Amino acid sequence: MRAGNSNLLPHALGLAVALGSLSMTASAADTSIHGFAENATYFRDGVGLSKFRNTGQLEILKPLETSGGGWYNVSVNAVLRATYDGVYDLNDEEFGEDAQQQYLGSNWHPNEDVSNQALTPGVPVPCENDPTLCNNLSGYMDEDSNDLRTPDFNDEWDFVRELYIDASRNVGDDQLSIRLGKQQVVWGRTDLFRVLDTINPVDYSRHNIYDELEDIRIPQWMLKADLLMGPNEVFDDMNFQLVWNFDKFRPNNLGTCGQSYSIVDAGCFFSSYIGFPDSFPVADYAGSLIPIIHDVKLPEHSLQNTQIGLKWEGVYGDATFSLNTLRYRQQMPSLHYRAGAVPGLPALDGVFDIHFPQVNLFGGSLDYYDMTTDATWRIEAAYTNGEELARDTDGHKQTDMARYVIGFDKNLMIPALGSTSAFLLSAQVFGQHVLEHESDMPDAEKNWTGTLLFKGFYMHNRLSPQLVLAHDVKAAATAIAPSISFQPDNHWLFNFGFNVKEGGNKKFPWSVAAANGDSSGQWEPLARFTNGPIGVANQEDEVQLTIRYGF
Amino acid sequence: MKPAIVALALAAGISTATQALPVTEAQIQASFFPYQTESVPQVPELAPGSVINAGNVDKVMAYLDPAMYQFVKNGDYEITVGETTSFGLHQSYIDATRKYASQAELGAKTGEITAPGAGRPFPQEPSMDDPRAGEKLAWNYKYGYNWGDSAAIMPFYWYMKDMESGKVERTFKFNFNFLNYSRRTAQDPVPEISPNPSELFRGTYAMVLEPFDVKDTQLLIHKFQNDVKNDNAYLYLGFQRRVRRLSSGQTTDAFLGTDIMIEDFEGYGGRISDMKWTYKGTKWLLSPMYNHNDMALASEPVESDGYQFVDFTGTGTCFPKITWQLRKTYVLWSEPVDPNHPVGRREHYVDAQTFIIPRNITYDRNGAMWKTFTIGQSHPDHHLPQNKGKGVAIDDSFSMVDMQANHCTTGQFKGIIDPKLSPESRFTVQNMRASGR
Repeated sequence: MRAGNSNLLPHALGLAVALGSLSMTASAADTSIHGFAENATYFRDGVGLSKFRNTGQLEILKPLETSGGGWYNVSVNAVLRATYDGVYDLNDEEFGEDAQQQYLGSNWHPNEDVSNQALTPGVPVPCENDPTLCNNLSGYMDEDSNDLRTPDFNDEWDFVRELYIDASRNVGDDQLSIRLGKQQVVWGRTDLFRVLDTINPVDYSRHNIYDELEDIRIPQWMLKADLLMGPNEVFDDMNFQLVWNFDKFRPNNLGTCGQSYSIVDAGCFFSSYIGFPDSFPVADYAGSLIPIIHDVKLPEHSLQNTQIGLKWEGVYGDATFSLNTLRYRQQMPSLHYRAGAVPGLPALDGVFDIHFPQVNLFGGSLDYYDMTTDATWRIEAAYTNGEELARDTDGHKQTDMARYVIGFDKNLMIPALGSTSAFLLSAQVFGQHVLEHESDMPDAEKNWTGTLLFKGFYMHNRLSPQLVLAHDVKAAATAIAPSISFQPDNHWLFNFGFNVKEGGNKKFPWSVAAANGDSSGQWEPLARFTNGPIGVANQEDEVQLTIRYGF
Repeated sequence: MKPAIVALALAAGISTATQALPVTEAQIQASFFPYQTESVPQVPELAPGSVINAGNVDKVMAYLDPAMYQFVKNGDYEITVGETTSFGLHQSYIDATRKYASQAELGAKTGEITAPGAGRPFPQEPSMDDPRAGEKLAWNYKYGYNWGDSAAIMPFYWYMKDMESGKVERTFKFNFNFLNYSRRTAQDPVPEISPNPSELFRGTYAMVLEPFDVKDTQLLIHKFQNDVKNDNAYLYLGFQRRVRRLSSGQTTDAFLGTDIMIEDFEGYGGRISDMKWTYKGTKWLLSPMYNHNDMALASEPVESDGYQFVDFTGTGTCFPKITWQLRKTYVLWSEPVDPNHPVGRREHYVDAQTFIIPRNITYDRNGAMWKTFTIGQSHPDHHLPQNKGKGVAIDDSFSMVDMQANHCTTGQFKGIIDPKLSPESRFTVQNMRASGR
């Protein structure tokens, strides 16, 4: 199980004191309480029930009156969430601790390679089935069955999704706005992709890449301070922002083996073993099974390991822009190879350690309204150093990275489609360039993913069909997600859709297979990166129904 | 320009710049105090307290716009007549008109104007002989005192209703704020907030409080002094937690799926240059203008300070339960320049004293009546105590009826004239991010 955040309280209290003489009493304004109850039931082709997620969420806002200190607009905000996913009880043959794989990657590729002879199937929910793996993965992907069923009720108290205090005060002619507490901080202007939006880690186990980021970002204890300077002779608006993430580092949740969503099937790879035949010529290795993961090296929760970001943002004419810099930890795991005593062979107690290296990000974003086309253009770019990517030899390489998104949004009146509301057309191209690429990296040196959203509105916007397309160019993988939502009144929402993926056909050579005489492309373990989250989910075609009652 | 050339230009449909004309004190008085210089027609059926219904509406047909006549004739609504009262605008606006109006002149093209300072640019009585009289009325509306230099509607309820059943399909609860960056007269600084590098004219900020699915959505619209330039519009989506830039050219979009286009806002929310404007004469018409505190108000929704909203009545509860008064009204038509615009024309019934537009009728491209918009106006001295003496005709209730779809959207305002509620800092993109949840 994950360790708790015992250091958290002193940080938070210290910052609260630093806010000054903030004497607060409950305001005459009413406490605002809203929320929803939701059931999401998904069926997967050939598998059956893949999600029976029941969520209750409460959002509470309490304005406070202040006396002294010059603070105003003070409020306490809380978001509480409880989730129970019944799929682990209703379809326990496919998901959960008893979900056995015939071979590693059986949920996305055939069993035809040397790689599948060398690697064992992933152990589902290791902490229920394999104490060694559970120990090796301690702190990361070490959920037990109850964690899968009720993921919000863990040692990090994730059922408290957000809990923060807002306060503002004047500083000269400017306004200082503070948000302190467990929160989400969102940078950038991009949908789906995370170029600048990298402050909070993400829980992909909830529904791969397809849920709103708001619901899958993992909130962190942070201080966000904005100095709002307003207009000047040049800019229509200007702002400086400081973000200090003083929470214990948490990586992205990729989904434990046995969960219904395990992005790029990483969870099962991390809970598998590499096997050596009895005839292997080195005595200690003959007939042995070596865990893929030896240990998870989570950074210590210390002041030096906290994460900090700065943003300068403004409005100039028809353009809004930002310049951003962030020192943070890579949220995706990086596998560091552990050499054994025998040259060319891994350590007997585990092949890789998982690390989360320090990363420096420099980036910016811009959006611009073009009156000629009556369209909005969005650009977001980031350069990072310190990231580590997977490669065949040594498991990883540190490389500088460049990522960018160009987006286009337009509202269109289309009378021929019988609606008095404008249709939304939104297209994006996401590019990723590995600046120090090596031939044994399964990630393409340059790759692009395109997305398209077309959304319409009927019946006074209560009926809304939409089509979402995403295509990963180098992976040759496509996701198609048509859906329709209906709101009969202020409370109820019904959403029905399909989520269909194509792709997952790329192989990538593996040196271990080559050493065994097969230097051709393999499915395991590296092609998961080549095929990406869309391609690896190629057998996760689903029909999805969500019913929500909001209040 | 020689008369012959003017005639040729007019015959060819070419606009030319108008010359600034001197404005007399008599014209100022007539424009701002019409009920001191003209007599209200004495019609027995329109005596205060009278009720106009299907049985007697034909006798007063001349004092109703065609859409409202039709509703009463069909029995959808009964009109209770109130006393005609003066809605005197703030003295600072009148003074600004006195100071600057003689410098106002139209440019060569529709949407172009030179009108320094503030105030009503064309206080002269419109003339049927003036081919650009309609355009001048449109500018008087755009540069009208409207909500004053700044105002807040806190809260603002919108209801989407099936007119046949009266069922409320959706309810939205907003806070709205308005701020004039330029042409200010009453609140410091005047006449313009500085710095104003993009030469903004007006800002509108809205936050959605309910329902849950759109809660915390914020909208910011910046209108420019240059009428030809499209607005800059920004949307903060609570579920995305970031500000999206909007393409703002689609002003015929149904706002949040209601019966109201963005272009319908406040009577007309588009650009002057998007329309051909025609003055069609002056009439005495019944207008939805009243004293809020004298109305039979709704018991719900409840406000903690005891404020009560205007109630609704009639078919589908699509009509405000208010009194109507006989007022001097300019009839102004706007016809879209864009042949693909869904609207054929709008008839705006402009209140001559305040230049607000309490009644609008929208016709479709086939010339059929499509929608009708009522914006009920309260006298500020008979509303919230803090609005007394502010010289603003307070938007207090609205009803947009889609007569073809048998559907309506109604609204209840709690309008407050208080500059502290609408500081300049509220109208920034950064404020949307900082206050976003």
